[in-house]
Amino acid sequence: MAKILLVGGGGREHAIAEALCRSAKEPKLYCLSDLVNPGIKKLVRKTGGEYYQGDTNSGETVLGYARRAGVDFVFIGPEEPNFHGVPDRLEEGGIGVIGAKRKVAELEMSKASMRDLQWKYKIPGRLWYKKFKTFEEAVPYIEEYAESVALKPARQAGGKGVKVIEDFQVYLQEEKRKVKKEHAESIVREFMKGYDDIDYKLLIEERVWGPEYTVQCLTDGRTVVPMPAVQDNKHAFDGDLGLETGGMGSISCGRNLRWGIGDDEERAILTPAEYDRSAEIVKMMIDAIQKETGERYHGIVAGQMMLTSVWGPTVIEMYSRLGDPEAGNVMPILKTDLVDICEAIIGERLNTIKVEFEERATVVKAVCPEGYPNRRDLAKGHPVSVSVAAAAAGAAGPDGEAGSIFWASADEIGGSVLSGGSRVIECLGIADSIPEASARAERLTQGVTLTDGWKLFHRKDIGSEKSLSRRIRLANMARDIYQYRERKGLLGKRMIWVPGKGLEEVG
Amino acid sequence: MGIYLFDDRWNSYNFGLFGLMALQHRGQETAGLELFGSPRQRMAGEGLVDDVFRSISGKGSICIGAVSPYPPGEGEVQPIRLSEKVAAAIDGRITSVEGYSWDETSGYESNLRRAFARVGGPGLEDLKRFFGSCRGGYSYIAANDSREMIAGRGSIGVKPLVLGKMGFDGGIVASESCVMDIIGERVPISPAENIEPGETRVFTPMSAYSEQLQPSAGTAYCSFEYIYLARPDSYVNDIPVYRVRSNIGRKLAEESPADADVVIGVPETAIPFAMAFSNETGIPVEKGFELTGRRIRSAMKPNQLERLKGVQLKLNVISEAVRGKRVVLIDDSVVRGNTLANIVYLMKEKGAKEIHVRIGSPHIVSHCTFGVEVPPEDELIGKHLTEEKIAEVIGADTFRYLSLGALEEAVGMKGADLCTGCFSCKYPEV
Repeated sequence: MAKILLVGGGGREHAIAEALCRSAKEPKLYCLSDLVNPGIKKLVRKTGGEYYQGDTNSGETVLGYARRAGVDFVFIGPEEPNFHGVPDRLEEGGIGVIGAKRKVAELEMSKASMRDLQWKYKIPGRLWYKKFKTFEEAVPYIEEYAESVALKPARQAGGKGVKVIEDFQVYLQEEKRKVKKEHAESIVREFMKGYDDIDYKLLIEERVWGPEYTVQCLTDGRTVVPMPAVQDNKHAFDGDLGLETGGMGSISCGRNLRWGIGDDEERAILTPAEYDRSAEIVKMMIDAIQKETGERYHGIVAGQMMLTSVWGPTVIEMYSRLGDPEAGNVMPILKTDLVDICEAIIGERLNTIKVEFEERATVVKAVCPEGYPNRRDLAKGHPVSVSVAAAAAGAAGPDGEAGSIFWASADEIGGSVLSGGSRVIECLGIADSIPEASARAERLTQGVTLTDGWKLFHRKDIGSEKSLSRRIRLANMARDIYQYRERKGLLGKRMIWVPGKGLEEVG
Repeated sequence: MGIYLFDDRWNSYNFGLFGLMALQHRGQETAGLELFGSPRQRMAGEGLVDDVFRSISGKGSICIGAVSPYPPGEGEVQPIRLSEKVAAAIDGRITSVEGYSWDETSGYESNLRRAFARVGGPGLEDLKRFFGSCRGGYSYIAANDSREMIAGRGSIGVKPLVLGKMGFDGGIVASESCVMDIIGERVPISPAENIEPGETRVFTPMSAYSEQLQPSAGTAYCSFEYIYLARPDSYVNDIPVYRVRSNIGRKLAEESPADADVVIGVPETAIPFAMAFSNETGIPVEKGFELTGRRIRSAMKPNQLERLKGVQLKLNVISEAVRGKRVVLIDDSVVRGNTLANIVYLMKEKGAKEIHVRIGSPHIVSHCTFGVEVPPEDELIGKHLTEEKIAEVIGADTFRYLSLGALEEAVGMKGADLCTGCFSCKYPEV
């Protein structure tokens, strides 16, 4: 019987845990995380494993628990253990691991090195960028050149601190430059505080538009297996309004984000060719980082992509793990035994396994206590109740099929569960089309309450017909332009006539 | 117009200023802005946005503002104070408030304040309760000093309202989507999201959501928005205004063709009508007028002298375009007819051989219940005279209105979904 240690206790890890426990090998599941995730705990108990609480970023701690449980391999959920070299320590200790080692996890950890690498290897879908070590260094650039830009912490900082400012209207420029400067300063001084593992602090990239999507891949360093594309929703509120979050919910259908399984292949956010190209770009990134570091990539890598007018498929960021909530879309429809897949990755024989997903539409909606994302202190510590009966009954569609829920930022203490300050529960609906799956997920959200009366919120619009058709239209617009550029041989090229200086070309 | 930015490093003042400029065509008599910073600041006055806000500045991450076609004597300058802590911008007219008996002897704003005082405090729930009990043809944006803002439309949706976004930083609500083009984020697919009749959009420091405050008992979208009020680059109720104006030009060509050499539109509003009329008939369209001074909407001026002054300065006829020609002259609407008479006179003086006037709307016969500025009914030429008589009065060879049916087809809505009260005297029940 296989024994597995899962590291991490969020919604993503709950989805991974369920997929692992579906294995025909009937594994014993062990889990190490800082908070006690009630969903994972239930699976741990059911399979006869153990739940540990501890520092997931400490290689010694993880190795210690892995040895104590005598596990066959460790599955690392979140990115921070990768950045802290936990997989490296496990491998040294002779324990198989699904998780990017420190050097290859650089793809996600350092957004600046990721871009360096992409430009060095001339991988398509690369954006203009500038990296800065100090705020002072960035000021003249912001004052003089920066127009519509994305300001990012140069290191992955839990998905926080990104600000996109469209600075196109010159009559509003003064205001926008002021905020750009102030935000750049807070990136350097606040968001990057405590991260001393990277030289660069601030990244400024050109702002692009188009539908975003995530292509998550399994890899053993030789074979790259892409999973169905997923689209996350980053704005906190309905209608893509408001603050940036870690993700309020995500949609998926088929490999290229189709409207429904029975629908026309063209009624989709991506074309099959764009999907293939995106997966190809992710593979090129893996090849490049392996070549650069001499290290093998074992685990999961994801391209956080956008279909832009400049490039078509374009890299926004890279992940060294599954996305959250994107994991909740792909793990439940994975047909192939996940334990088999993990063993194949560790043994570097992923090419011998055919990885298959069910052809279904999935929609995940995150339910959050009010206060998230900017006032997590207020969102934290509220007792959570999930009415299983109501939820199950609510989710049952006409065909009697139910979705399910993943516990996310929640902590089981004694008999009760308290909110952890972030997204507390992720509701999954599965159906034949995205709007149907969305309606199912929506019904599930009704079963979640905070018993102290504190308010919860979620996005009703994720996966709705209105939202989905907008995304498809947006993709069509970006596609028209990039395909025109492609025909003209101008894909990724940008030309600027600088009066007095001449033609400048980048691309 | 209302701007809500979550991050208080933003100053919404300049956004508010340019947003109001984008709405300037909706009212040119007063302009006002209330900024919810610390301290709260109100800046408002008589004149165009440019004049009112010249050499002043303000600070706050939330603001509401309005322009108005009413001179200060006819009402308070918007945004109005509903209470010490609450300011509101209201487009159109609230005609009654449930459970409150309107005092005809005091002003509109005092009545609103008294009705608002009945609901209690200045909180978000109070605001919802108040606007949920209002009736009439209006849209509103209100904010209190606890950084809470609500924006919505009355149950029949007479007045338009749209929502736009500013990246991860906040939202903008405005009567017209052109505001988003000017100060919002450029979204390639559509500039703004339509807010539905009876719907309200709530913004608080920790949330933003939509709520149906009143059940929508059928719609009565103001048809005059499409004919005259809105900018041609706006979308009203998700319908592009420019499309409607082109349709109207085509319908005019179908219903009332004319044997002519040239088509000329009265600037600015009637230009798209004229272009479509020309495209449909093959009669060339020409620029017939040149403007002197600032661009203003002469029809909105509160008195006759100002209107005529506006027309004469705005509409100097380019003789070469009309001399010796049979002219189709297209205007959007006729209220009293005297500015039109002036235009026809000027054009004949410059040598036009024939003038066939075509109007892009039906005859105006009624004073608007919902606050569109239409004069008393005894002043309305279309209520009292036939088309033939009007032609004689203004000195044109022929004169034709658009039919009501053609207007409804041009908008693409059934009569029941549109408010066409100013053309029919039939206003929707609220």
